[in-house]
Amino acid sequence: MSQEFSIVGKRLPRADAIEKVKGEAKFTSDMQLPQMMHAKFLRSPHAHARITRIDTSKAEALSGVKCVLTHKNVPKVHPVPQVPGGKFEYLLDETVHCVGEEVAAVAAVAKEIAEEALKLIEVEYEVLPAVFDKEEAMKPDAPLVYPELGSNLYQSPRTIDGMLPLDWGDVEKGFAEADYILEGTYESPLQHHVSPEPRSVVCQWIGDKLTCWASTQIPQKLRLELSVCLDIPLSSVRVISTYSVGGYGAKDPEKTATLTALLAKRTGRPVRAVFTRAEDFIGTHRRIDSKIHARLGVKRDGAITALYTKMITNFGKGSQVANFVPACSAVDTCSMLYRYQNSKFEGYHVITNIQDHGAMNGFGDPEAGFCIERLIDEAAEKIGTDPVEFRLKNCMRYGDKGMELDCVAFGPIKWGIVGPDVDSFQECIQRVAEKARWKEKWKGWKTPVEVRGAKRRGIGVAIGMHHCVAATQDSATVKMNQDGTADVFSSDPDIGQGLRTAMAQVVAEVLGLRYEDVNVILADTSVTPYGPGVFGSRGTSLGINAAYLAAQDAKLKLFQIAAPRLEVEPEALEAKDGKVYVKRDRGRGIPIAELCSVSPQVTGNAVVPYPWRDERTGKEIAPVSVAATIAEVEVDTETGELDVLRITSAHDCGRAINPQIIENQIDLSVIMANGWVRSEEFVIDKNLGVMLNPNLLDYKLMTILDMPKREDMQEIIVEFPTPWGPFGAKGMSETATTTQAPALANAIYNATGVRIRGDHLTPDRVLEALGKTT
Amino acid sequence: MLSVLIPIVLTVNGEKYELSIGPTETLADTLREKLGLTGTKIMCNEGECGACTVLMDGKPVLSCLLLAVECEGKDILTIEGLAAPATGELHPIQKTFVERSGMQCGVCTPGMILTAKALLEENINPTEDEVREALAGNLCRCGNYKRITECVLAAAEMMQGGK
Repeated sequence: MSQEFSIVGKRLPRADAIEKVKGEAKFTSDMQLPQMMHAKFLRSPHAHARITRIDTSKAEALSGVKCVLTHKNVPKVHPVPQVPGGKFEYLLDETVHCVGEEVAAVAAVAKEIAEEALKLIEVEYEVLPAVFDKEEAMKPDAPLVYPELGSNLYQSPRTIDGMLPLDWGDVEKGFAEADYILEGTYESPLQHHVSPEPRSVVCQWIGDKLTCWASTQIPQKLRLELSVCLDIPLSSVRVISTYSVGGYGAKDPEKTATLTALLAKRTGRPVRAVFTRAEDFIGTHRRIDSKIHARLGVKRDGAITALYTKMITNFGKGSQVANFVPACSAVDTCSMLYRYQNSKFEGYHVITNIQDHGAMNGFGDPEAGFCIERLIDEAAEKIGTDPVEFRLKNCMRYGDKGMELDCVAFGPIKWGIVGPDVDSFQECIQRVAEKARWKEKWKGWKTPVEVRGAKRRGIGVAIGMHHCVAATQDSATVKMNQDGTADVFSSDPDIGQGLRTAMAQVVAEVLGLRYEDVNVILADTSVTPYGPGVFGSRGTSLGINAAYLAAQDAKLKLFQIAAPRLEVEPEALEAKDGKVYVKRDRGRGIPIAELCSVSPQVTGNAVVPYPWRDERTGKEIAPVSVAATIAEVEVDTETGELDVLRITSAHDCGRAINPQIIENQIDLSVIMANGWVRSEEFVIDKNLGVMLNPNLLDYKLMTILDMPKREDMQEIIVEFPTPWGPFGAKGMSETATTTQAPALANAIYNATGVRIRGDHLTPDRVLEALGKTT
Repeated sequence: MLSVLIPIVLTVNGEKYELSIGPTETLADTLREKLGLTGTKIMCNEGECGACTVLMDGKPVLSCLLLAVECEGKDILTIEGLAAPATGELHPIQKTFVERSGMQCGVCTPGMILTAKALLEENINPTEDEVREALAGNLCRCGNYKRITECVLAAAEMMQGGK
C-alpha cells in the first residue's frame, strides 16, 4: 500500500537519533545556565494537616540560601486555574492534603545547601483525619478531604449527586432479553509513570520576561498556568520543551514550574528544579486505581444485549484532568468496544488524601478494558464459544447501534458517534489469531495449552480501543528556506513517541523534499504556533495533520511561483524529488531550491479543521484506534510465578508513517501494561498514607528478562486508513495499553482454571486464586 | 556540611582533568555538573536503573554509586567519548541504535550502549540470552528491549565483519 510514497511508510532513522546516541541531546535536567541556582521542596509528612506555625528564619540564615517560599509569601492562586479539578488546593497551601504535598520551596547556590535548608525549616502541624481508600472515602462518616465541598465525591456540571452518568438504549429491556447474565467485580491497580527523567524545570527571567525550559507534554497549557499564576501576559512567558522525555501522561509540571519561576524572580537568578526519584513518585500524579462492578447480558447465540458498569475510582487530592478518565472508560470501552445494544455507566470519582491522579497511557481504557475483557471471556465460556470467535462476532462495527452522544458532552471534549475506524477490529483480531497460531493452540475451555507437572501453559485474547484525538484544534507552520530546505513549527513536543520524525516524513513527502531536508522545531511557545500538546494520542491525528496541511499550503504557494515560469496553471504541477514538475511533462521542472532562492518568503500555515463529521449521518465523529492481543503464559502452580512466553499484538494506526516507530510504541505500551499488573505495586501505608516503596528496587519495572525474547514479541501493524488523518494515519500509541492485562488474565485462566478478578497478577495473587495461600 | 575539597586526577574520554572534589560528590555529578558531560543520565540516582552507566577502565560501573574521589587515576569513558575522536564516526552500536530505532525517549540509551560495548569487548559473538543477561540491570521505561537486543546483535555482526 505504501509503494506510492517516497518517504512515508519507510523505516527511517529517528530525526533525533544521532544526538541521543551521542549524548548531545540536552534534556531539561541537563541544562546549566550561568549563576544558576537549585530548587528543593519541603514536603508534608502528613496526609492531612493544617500548618499552625512555620519558621524559615534558620533556613534563610544558612549561607548560600537565597530564597524560601511558603504559603505566607506566595500568591494565593490555584496551580491549575483553568481546570475544575485543579481548583482545590493553593500553590502553597496552609492546609496540606496528602503526604508529599509541597510545604515550602528553597533556592540555594548548591543543591546540597538547598537540601540542608529544608531540614532547618520548622513546621508545626495540626494533624487532621485522613482517608486513602476510595470506598472508605465514600462512607457517610468518612473524613472529608475538603470539608468546604461537603462530600468526597468529585462534582462537576456533568455529575448528578457526585455520579457521572452515561445511559444509552434501555439496559433493563436488554437484560430482560438476555438468556444469561454475567456479573462480577473487578479491580485495576494504581500505577506510576516512572518517567525516566524525573520532574525537571529551569526558569530564567530577563527583564520582565520569563523563559521556562520544562519537560512537559503540554507547553501551551503550562504557559497559560504561568501567565495566570504569576499575573503576567502570555507574551511574557516562553515555555521551551525541545526534548520532553518519557511522557506516558506524566509530563505536566504546573506547580513545580510556577514555584521555580517565583524563586527565579525573587532571586534574580536562573533556578533549576529536578526531583529525586522518590520525590517524583510522591510529588507528581499517577494512574487511577479502580473498582468496577459490571453486568453483561448475552443471548444463547452469543449476542450481547446490555452492559451495566459501576466504576469507582480514586481521584486523590486533586487532578488536572477533572473527571475525563472515567468519562473515557464510559464512552470508549463501555460504549464502543462491543455491540452492547444498551449501556449504562455510573462513575464515582472519589476524592482521597493521596496524591493527584492524572493522565497515563490509555487514560481510562486500560482500567475499563481490564474489567470488560475479563467479563467478556466469562461470557464466551458461558456460551461455549471460542473467545476469538466471540470477539469477532461482537466487536463494534461501523453503522451499529451505538452511542450517539449528541446529548452528552464531557466538558470541552465532545464525543460523537462510532465511526468507520472500528471496522478494523475484524482485521486486528484475525491477523493476531493467525500470527499467534490461535487455532492450533486453543484446545477449548478448561483445557490448558500444555501441562507439565506443576507448570501449566495457557493462551488468552483481548481486544481494546482508545480515542485517537483529544479534541481541540492544532496548527503548524512550514517555512521554506532559500536553499529549498524547510523548517516546520509545531507546539506539540516529541516525548520519545517519534513525533519529530513522523512530522518530518510527512512534510518531506508532501513537498517532494528529502527527509533530511526537513527540520522540525517543536514546542517553543514564543515561536511555534498554537497547539495544545501531545496527549490523548492526538499527536498524529492533529499535530502532524496540521503540519501536513501547512506543507500543502506551502506547496501551493511554490506552485503559484512556478506556474508562470513553466507556462502552466498551478493545478498542472506536482512536487517530487526536490523539483516542481509539470505533471504531464516530467521533463519540465524547476528545482525547489531555485524557486525558494528567488522567492524566499514562502510560508505555509494551517489549522486542522476539527471536529470531523461522519459521512453517513453528518454527526460529529469520535475517531478511535483499536487493537487485539494474544498472550501465551506459563503458570507455576506451586510458586504462582507467571512466565510470559509470547505476546502478539495487532494495532490499527491508519497508515504507518514510520513502521519502526509504530513497533516501538506498541512495545512500549505492551511492556508498561505488563508492569502495571505483573510487578508494579505502589504500596501506600493504610494508616498514614505514606508510599512505602518510592524507589526502583521496590517498585519494580519490567526488565529485559521479564519480557519474551525477540521472536516472541510480535507486533502487527494494521493499516486501515482514516479519512481524516495525514495520509490516513492516526494516533495509536495508547491503545496498546488496553489489551495486555486482560489477555494475560485470560491466559492464566486457560492455564489454571481460576479467574483473577483483582488488580494484580503477581505470584501471591495467583496463589491466592489457586487457594494456596497460607 | 563538609567543605574539604580533595584533589584528584581523572581521565575522561582520553582527556586528563585535575579536579577538586567534595568527599560526597558522585562520579555522575562530577561528569554532569563539573565537566558538562550530561550524556550520562540520572534516572534513579541510587544504582537501580543503569542509566548512569559509564565505563571505568573498560568495565561498566554505575556512576551514581561511585564517589568521584574513588576514581582517582581511573580512565573513564562516557557516551560523549564513544564515537571516533578524529572522524566523529559513530561506534557500530551507536550506528545500529540509529538505524533500528534502538531508543525512544533516550534516557536509558547511553547506559545501554556503554553496557553493550563492554559486553561486545568481552564477547564479540553473544547469543540473544547473553545480550539479555548483560542488559538485565538497565531499565528502559519505553519498553524498547526487543529493538535494543536487535541493535546489539546487529552491532556484533557489524564488528565481526571488520567494519
